[in-house]
Amino acid sequence: MSDRQAKIRELAAAALAEDRVDYFIGWKQGINPSEAIPAFVRSADEVDQLIWNPLSHHNLTTFLKRKMPDPPNARIGVCVKGCDSRTLVALLQEELVDKERIYVVGVPCDGVIDRRRVEKEFADEVVDISFSGDVVTATTRCGDSKEFAKGDMTFDHCNTCRYPNPVYADDMAADPVPEPEDRTPMWGSIEEFEALSPAEKDAKLADAFETCIRCFACIHACPVCVCWDQCVNRCRRPALVGQRVDTKENLMFQMVHMFHVAGRCPSCGACDRACPVEIPLYLLHRKMNKELYDMLGFEPGVSLEEKPAFQTFKLDDPFGEH
Amino acid sequence: MAQATDTTQAAGTTPPDAGDEVKVVGIVCNWCSYAGADGAGTARLKQEFEMRLLRVPCTGRIDPLFAIKAFEKGADGVLISGCHPGDCHYSEGNYYARRKFELLDRMLPFLGVEPDRFKYTWVSASEGARWQKVVNEFVGKVKALGPREGRAL
Repeated sequence: MSDRQAKIRELAAAALAEDRVDYFIGWKQGINPSEAIPAFVRSADEVDQLIWNPLSHHNLTTFLKRKMPDPPNARIGVCVKGCDSRTLVALLQEELVDKERIYVVGVPCDGVIDRRRVEKEFADEVVDISFSGDVVTATTRCGDSKEFAKGDMTFDHCNTCRYPNPVYADDMAADPVPEPEDRTPMWGSIEEFEALSPAEKDAKLADAFETCIRCFACIHACPVCVCWDQCVNRCRRPALVGQRVDTKENLMFQMVHMFHVAGRCPSCGACDRACPVEIPLYLLHRKMNKELYDMLGFEPGVSLEEKPAFQTFKLDDPFGEH
Repeated sequence: MAQATDTTQAAGTTPPDAGDEVKVVGIVCNWCSYAGADGAGTARLKQEFEMRLLRVPCTGRIDPLFAIKAFEKGADGVLISGCHPGDCHYSEGNYYARRKFELLDRMLPFLGVEPDRFKYTWVSASEGARWQKVVNEFVGKVKALGPREGRAL
């Protein structure tokens, strides 16, 4: 773990010292040692704050879509995990990020920890999470401490991950980790939901979306949601989504997001992690990707040469009436 | 008045009771399906009267969100129809659209909408009879399901 961290610092320091980038985006320790937060490093002396551990869950590609135009010519270094790199490739496919102005450090990933899952094991606030091998030790403010197997605490989408190594990177922070031989995607826990009757699905969705406070954290955190001020979710004309916060409008809001990132979203899970009320957004996105794969054999953000599913067509697409 | 009675009898239905009626939205392209529907009307082909048509320039203009919005606002069924693949007035609009509608068709059951409440199909300007068949079949299925009572969508 730490050799990847050392290599990230080394690559970041070199890029900053040689003035190849204006700033470098990585992860640093949060206010307490139980969380990692994004770090913006602007000089080679500051690279020691960069870390890499299984808490580094943030998809830093999000900052590229936001920072690219401001300042307009910034050259940015960024760290990506496997899933992050797929969102980056999706942005590059559509030229939403300028390839010439970014420097990408790829980090092979063994899965990241779902901090919320750890928190739910305690009544008290978790203030420290440390790792040794595959054991995760979490400690609370009153000194209560428990050990967990890392595999039990990783995100759902890490357990079904097919791309642990970045698919696109200028430099790698370590040798690639072993990849699964079978690249057929797995869809994790959506089957359970799929098996419900229409009325049960409706009830479950309504219960989940009733709590949405429309904070927009999901679309801010989403690396492939790029319209910003032109977003139909925030304008009154066309009135696709109303201002009123109710269950139907909330789901409509999420539908706008979902259909607009279709073909670009590789289900990196950034929206799920950002949601303060824990709406199971993965259900929608994973289902969408499952159906896209089923329809077209298409996986978003896997190769730079590929065109996104909805920007192209085939005369003999195998569905619909002919 | 006599004509209206004819229409309902020919479709094999009686006028619905208040509150029982289903609302079906048809989103059709200007060049094929709208003209086809027009042809069906001109030929006096009896159709289910719950269908409300929305005309758009091309199926390529139809965002899947239009259908979702219609369901959200209380539609009981949504039918999308355009030119047959290869016949698009703008050459390729319906090819792009086909992918979007297929995804929508697969997503809607996941959102708690019964599969029979959504359909996308192709009807050309000369296929008035086919339009009649499509509408009667689709609306018939939606009627069998009855009005929707979704909380989420």
